[in-house]
Amino acid sequence: MSETKYLETHEWYIVDGDKFTVGISDYAQGELGDIVFVTLPEVGQEFSKGDAIVEVEATKTVAEAYAPMNCVITEVNTNLETEPELINNDPVGDGWMVKAEIKEMDDSGMTYQQYESFIS
Amino acid sequence: MSDLKTTSLYEFHLSKDSKMIDFAGWSMPFSYDGTLKEHNYVRKSAGYFDVSHMGRLRLSYSQIEEINYLICSELRDIENTKALYSIFLSESGTAIDDVIFWKFEDDLILICNASNTVKIKNHLDANFITYDDLTNKTDLIAVQGKNAISIVEEMMPIPDKFSTSKNSIYTYARTGYTGEDGVEVMLNQKDTLEFIQQLEDKGVMPCGLGSRDTLRLEASLPLYGFELTDDISPVEAGLKWTLTNKSDYMGKKIIDEQIDTKNHKYLKRFKLNAKQIARTGTVCNSGNVSGTVTSGNISPILGHPIGFVLFETNPPDNLLEFDIRGNLVEGNLLDKRFLN
Repeated sequence: MSETKYLETHEWYIVDGDKFTVGISDYAQGELGDIVFVTLPEVGQEFSKGDAIVEVEATKTVAEAYAPMNCVITEVNTNLETEPELINNDPVGDGWMVKAEIKEMDDSGMTYQQYESFIS
Repeated sequence: MSDLKTTSLYEFHLSKDSKMIDFAGWSMPFSYDGTLKEHNYVRKSAGYFDVSHMGRLRLSYSQIEEINYLICSELRDIENTKALYSIFLSESGTAIDDVIFWKFEDDLILICNASNTVKIKNHLDANFITYDDLTNKTDLIAVQGKNAISIVEEMMPIPDKFSTSKNSIYTYARTGYTGEDGVEVMLNQKDTLEFIQQLEDKGVMPCGLGSRDTLRLEASLPLYGFELTDDISPVEAGLKWTLTNKSDYMGKKIIDEQIDTKNHKYLKRFKLNAKQIARTGTVCNSGNVSGTVTSGNISPILGHPIGFVLFETNPPDNLLEFDIRGNLVEGNLLDKRFLN
């Protein structure tokens, strides 16, 4: 498994072979406030880099999480359907959103240190 | 940031790691522990809110006749120990602001929305009503919740609901904006931290404007700028119960016409049958009448999205269809309040 990387749109992703896992950053969940509902994609759906893959409803606002690279969804975190607060409580762990097969590798995200200086 | 006004508790909020937001030109706490948790503190126990950004004007009792002309409710006839929710109206019957009056033997305290303090002061000036602006000299703390009264009664005598009281430290009323029982307490800034410390020692939790908004929405209470504006009358906002003024008042002609003809906008409550939230500005249809959501959020207690929607004319159908970012979502109009 490679290093966890971050996007300017506040997703994290981690590449593992020909797949990756994606979620939103701790900073993002803090800005959104309490997450009350998550709309997940279907397994098998194809996305291009930058497409909205997940919609997150929070008490403060609604936000989308974007695909970090071209991909096909292989697994969604169905726990989020009943426990969307997992994203608030453990955004980079149990609050992961989807796993996907990489169609075109693009590991150009920021390291945690780079992301930290980006958000500060 | 430097242009934002702060309450005397600003440093205190920061010390509690509050998430701050810009609200009506003030830097105010949005949340401390999270909006849903804070919502539940109030519904299940008790919370306190720094609402010192709200305008507070002291008016001499002798001006009560002139003030009564500017609002749609009867301020003169209620007892001198009562609190009154009312609305300042324009000549065209629309809301300048919705406010609370605290009535005492010798004076009146007018509490207005932070976003409207300047507007209300200008309106009073234009009508030759004088006032002492207490906003920057005092703080206002709302203590709200199921257990709020039993906790606060150890600190001050509790008046009847919608009644006022004062002593050497506290000027207060048994009022609020959450749908729960509680008090709103005005006090000198030097006394505020000690008051809050006492509340915290008794288990009252700090709550921010995020939960204040979800609580007031769930309690079916309007928020100025959304359910009431310079373009919406109390009749249109479903607040006919506030029209108790027994004499002539500014805007009365239009208000009477609206009641008579029923030809006006209609603000309604709705619930959604899905999980998506219909937020401010979302368009919906009731038959061939379209409406726009004024406020919408999840109801933490009911577990589904709720809100207010404003229709141009009386909506013909209780079944609603919302366009939420391109998806059609069904909802229903509600005759009753969200919570009983």
